[in-house]
Amino acid sequence: MPVTIREAADALRARQFSSVELTTAALARIERLNAALRAFITVTAEAALKKAAQADAELAGGRDRGPLHGIPIAVKDLFFTRGVRTTAGSLLYRDFVPDHDAAVVERLERAGAVMMGKLNMHELAYGITSENPHFGAVRNPWNVEHSPGGSSGGSGAAVAAGMVYAAMGSDTGGSIRIPASFCGTVGLKPTYGRVSRYGAFPLAWSLDHMGPLARSVRGAATVFDAIAGYDRRDAASSRHPAVETVPEVGCSMRGVRVGFPQGFFFERLDADVESSVRGALARAESLGAAVVPVRLPDMEAVTAVGRVILLCEASAMMEPHLDNRGQFGADVLALLDQGRLLSATDYIQAQRLRRKMQQEFAAVWRQVDCLVAPATPTAAPRVGENTVRLAGREEDVRILTTRLVRGFNVLGLPSLAMPCGLTAAGLPVGLQIVGPPMEEALVLRVGAVMEDGGVGIPPCPTL
Amino acid sequence: MKNWEFIAKASGVEIPAPELQRISQTLDALEATFRRLVGDLEVSLEPATVFHAEEDAGDHSGSR
Repeated sequence: MPVTIREAADALRARQFSSVELTTAALARIERLNAALRAFITVTAEAALKKAAQADAELAGGRDRGPLHGIPIAVKDLFFTRGVRTTAGSLLYRDFVPDHDAAVVERLERAGAVMMGKLNMHELAYGITSENPHFGAVRNPWNVEHSPGGSSGGSGAAVAAGMVYAAMGSDTGGSIRIPASFCGTVGLKPTYGRVSRYGAFPLAWSLDHMGPLARSVRGAATVFDAIAGYDRRDAASSRHPAVETVPEVGCSMRGVRVGFPQGFFFERLDADVESSVRGALARAESLGAAVVPVRLPDMEAVTAVGRVILLCEASAMMEPHLDNRGQFGADVLALLDQGRLLSATDYIQAQRLRRKMQQEFAAVWRQVDCLVAPATPTAAPRVGENTVRLAGREEDVRILTTRLVRGFNVLGLPSLAMPCGLTAAGLPVGLQIVGPPMEEALVLRVGAVMEDGGVGIPPCPTL
Repeated sequence: MKNWEFIAKASGVEIPAPELQRISQTLDALEATFRRLVGDLEVSLEPATVFHAEEDAGDHSGSR
């Protein structure tokens, strides 16, 4: 069976496979693997086969909606799907059935993608393990004793395990890039406002970003092109014109200044992670990039600001439900309680600091065109691990795992996570490529050149 | 350091004591980092409560 979106799209047009065959194979794979991986909360088999048959008929009749036409995909269960239960991984919404689609679902539908169902996630998207107390803990296809990351854990697992060709996730403090890194897939957190948030359960309005996970950089770009663009229903939606971002075959990054951040991003890393990311940077240089050491503003400070904003916005959103503590998992409740104790003044100061940090960070782009750094300091921890030992000290898993990614939610910058190696234990290592606002085409091109040039990992071993 | 128990009580926020003690440690650490940042903000600096990522982003232009 085809592995990437491009291969599947070519196979459909060459009539090697039909969309019904791709969808049937995906359903069989979901049936076989979901009990172990818990990647899906809801599988929409009947609707998927109907949609696949429609795609086959349209393609045979000469109506070609583009590269996603007839391709099995799925979305994180916080995206509204009309007539299909949408839980946000929470007991609060266990019976909620929306009467309209999220903007990204509308656009994927228009592109002819075949929706396979709704993906499991960390409760309310408020965590990085996807150990969901209500719908089951998602497992990492590379080693089911390990976490897939979160909060888009089901999305990462489903793509890595070959259940779907691409999945939608959301990223408020790393929730696309962490599962991409842990599951060995590609994940794109676009610029803030680039992809509509309409019809997605929010976690923190000013930090939420919507984006794809896929098995290749070009696959992620293909999905991004289908979903990006202005939406008047999203108050933060950018009017910046959408451009095609799928990198051309044989594209180059000759002369691109790739920033190699000194300090923060390379402190307190697992040795295998550091080795893999440094290896990827060396490969980038051999592929024509100018790798430039660069000092960034205080990212520890940016991260702290992000945590204050997130705590306040998430608690504000959940306030109507907080009298019923039994509805929440313990970890989510702890975060919601923290947010209730911060003040309005704290929130305003955090947003002032955010503007200051945005202005300071802009100077970086005068020195370099993009940055390459690790996405996560470690590979996937074990399911149930709340602390990990790193560089001789015990660290909280959540704070450690979000350390390298959260800052780019605060700054709203596009960040592409992609695999760059395996640890000695056989778990994926992920890096991130970060660019200036609206420069998804650049970060995707850099990612594609690196992927074409051998930066990556083999497909996940078959379970 | 802030008295989170007092703040919870004054705000009418009911959090069981063991849970409050656990989150107090996390909040203390966050407070220590955050508070030192707030000191010298210029009064002209407005909150980013309406946030557009493409503003104030320097003079880069288009894709290379």
